[in-house]
Amino acid sequence: MRHGTRYEFPDLPLKSVGAGTNLLLTGPTLEGARELLLRLLLGEDGVVIITADTSARKVLGEFEDVGGRIDRERVRVVSCAQERDDDLGDFVTSVGSPGDLTGIGIEYSSQYEAVYARGYDTVRTGIYTLTPLLVYSEDVRPVFRFVNTVTSRIRTADGLGVCAIDPSAHDERVINSIAQPFDARVDVREVDGTIQLRVRGLSDQPSEWTTVPALR
Amino acid sequence: MPTVVYVDGDNETRSSTVGALESAGFEVRASESVEAVETTIDDSVGCVVVTATLSDGTGFDVVELVRDQYPDCPCVFFTSKAPADLPRGGREQVVEYVPRTDSSAHDRLVDVVMAAATEATQPAYPVPKDEPERVAALEAYDVDELAALETFERLTALMTAHFDIDVAFVGLVDAHEERFVACEGANWRTLSREDSICTHTILTDEVMIVENVREDPRFAGVDRLDELDIKSYAGARITDDEGNPLGAVCCVHGESRSYTRAERDDLRRFADEVQEQLSLRRRLGSGGA
Repeated sequence: MRHGTRYEFPDLPLKSVGAGTNLLLTGPTLEGARELLLRLLLGEDGVVIITADTSARKVLGEFEDVGGRIDRERVRVVSCAQERDDDLGDFVTSVGSPGDLTGIGIEYSSQYEAVYARGYDTVRTGIYTLTPLLVYSEDVRPVFRFVNTVTSRIRTADGLGVCAIDPSAHDERVINSIAQPFDARVDVREVDGTIQLRVRGLSDQPSEWTTVPALR
Repeated sequence: MPTVVYVDGDNETRSSTVGALESAGFEVRASESVEAVETTIDDSVGCVVVTATLSDGTGFDVVELVRDQYPDCPCVFFTSKAPADLPRGGREQVVEYVPRTDSSAHDRLVDVVMAAATEATQPAYPVPKDEPERVAALEAYDVDELAALETFERLTALMTAHFDIDVAFVGLVDAHEERFVACEGANWRTLSREDSICTHTILTDEVMIVENVREDPRFAGVDRLDELDIKSYAGARITDDEGNPLGAVCCVHGESRSYTRAERDDLRRFADEVQEQLSLRRRLGSGGA
């Protein structure tokens, strides 16, 4: 593992963050959160995306739209959306339901290990979004276990984690508890077609609403 | 170094994996079957590593057995089987997975087990940021000695009368469970952290109110609270002099209940009293340090 690694975010109004950082991205589904999450995954590191409410095919298309390069050695997807993506190849794996937290966790670890084994010792993980996982679970405790397990792997493996959640879909008390293992919250909103963000929990990042430059 | 239980029915892979874990410094207890795990597991075990299939069940049966007794214990699947070929487990069991593919697999297993055994990696509840420091701070107190103190008994008795509630208690939240050092109105000794509302109370310096447990999504699925007839809750965090959260002073009632601003302030004062008593005992050197 490389020591001193930092994750950079070109073209975003964010400073680099240290290896092992987990960010909770909170914003309404249709207001820029997915675009921002995918832009936070850009770089030459390994990438593992867990998509819970959108097909892998669509997420990969959107990743390319924001400038991502689909290199199957480096980029991996775990899909728990309804649509099957089995024909895309083994760099995409499917779990039947967002409620199968055990299956999602195992497939995620498997894909993480696959990227790691190919020499990518820095890996960016994106989860879009936690909302279906919470909605499908009658008891919030297994979701805590899932979030703790994933964020621990990211922290101890010097990775970067970006996990989205729609705050309007959940009780604020649940959001605050879910946020506990994350190093910071990145709030996202869209104003007149422009995405804005602010960061809570990392002192060197913008704490006031800051415009995210549009894609070139 | 924490103890690791490794469960694998194959003599060859069991021997080589035990060797790899021992070389990394772990004390390893090897088991061959689900049944054998029952006599192998205890509270000194920091992680359980298991293969997918065993002669008398699956790795998921081992996870279920372990979590029934030690709900926080991290479990890691170490197997040559791909995820799609694994036996079916419960949808909410959530484990780590390391593929046993090539010679580097043992190195990756050691990395994952090291993290799992030394950090709180798989608990089913939110964990405070400085959990190791917090637990170390709590260990400076002799909880058994505190439980024998009449001061806290008098205080909780006063609380039930003052708030007109069923139960009042002083709870200390250790690494895996809450221990009730005083409890008026019930005979509670311990509660696992994933079932305890105080697990959440220690995260905030505000008095935490749950007017109706069944309507709060954090606790609505916790059957144990229903079994204990905990329908409403109010708790104020207690800390040591350095600010480490140790536990909470709490009101519990068998019916939904709200708390006025004055009542919240009173609960905070009761908690301050407990906090001062704890601080005093530490300064007098009789906290068990």
